[in-house]
Amino acid sequence: MISTVLDVIGGVLLFLGLTLMTISLYGILRRPDTYGQLHAQGLATGPGVIAVLASSIGTENAAIITFAVLAIAFVTLTSPVSGHAIARAAHERRGSGRTGS
Amino acid sequence: MSDAILIPALVWVTLLLVGGGLALVRARDVLQRLIAFDSLAVLVIALLAMLSYLRDVGYYLDAAVALALLSFTATVAAARYLASGGPFG
Repeated sequence: MISTVLDVIGGVLLFLGLTLMTISLYGILRRPDTYGQLHAQGLATGPGVIAVLASSIGTENAAIITFAVLAIAFVTLTSPVSGHAIARAAHERRGSGRTGS
Repeated sequence: MSDAILIPALVWVTLLLVGGGLALVRARDVLQRLIAFDSLAVLVIALLAMLSYLRDVGYYLDAAVALALLSFTATVAAARYLASGGPFG
């Protein structure tokens, strides 16, 4: 009973994460400028990979779930920082007039 | 988790990796290339996590965490270099 419920939750989270990654990649391929691509990329590096890692509860393996929680904490800490670094680099390059987009 | 879910998910993420490579080739600016590289790293992290679920062993997630650390460091260093000419400047 509980195993089936966890399996369904894991499958739904995996599907959600893959959907978010697909939307994000479509946005990266479609947006013409750097800021728009960065906006689309934040969907994959934040919620997308977190949903894929959170679907580890479907495996019911304590070692896998522990490492997935560690990876979720790490991604939650680092993905806004790297996005901010890229956005600031785009801003400063646009300010100096070197960027082409 | 059952293989009937995980194997199509692995195939789909591999197709997304091909799309990420296309984004890397199509990038016009070096920052767009950096964005495509970062999203490729995220896709490989997801691929390693799903491989860990499929084979039911934990040590692929070690590689995923290490790859997340390397990708974060590379992205921040390259972005700061492109912004101001040095990682600490």
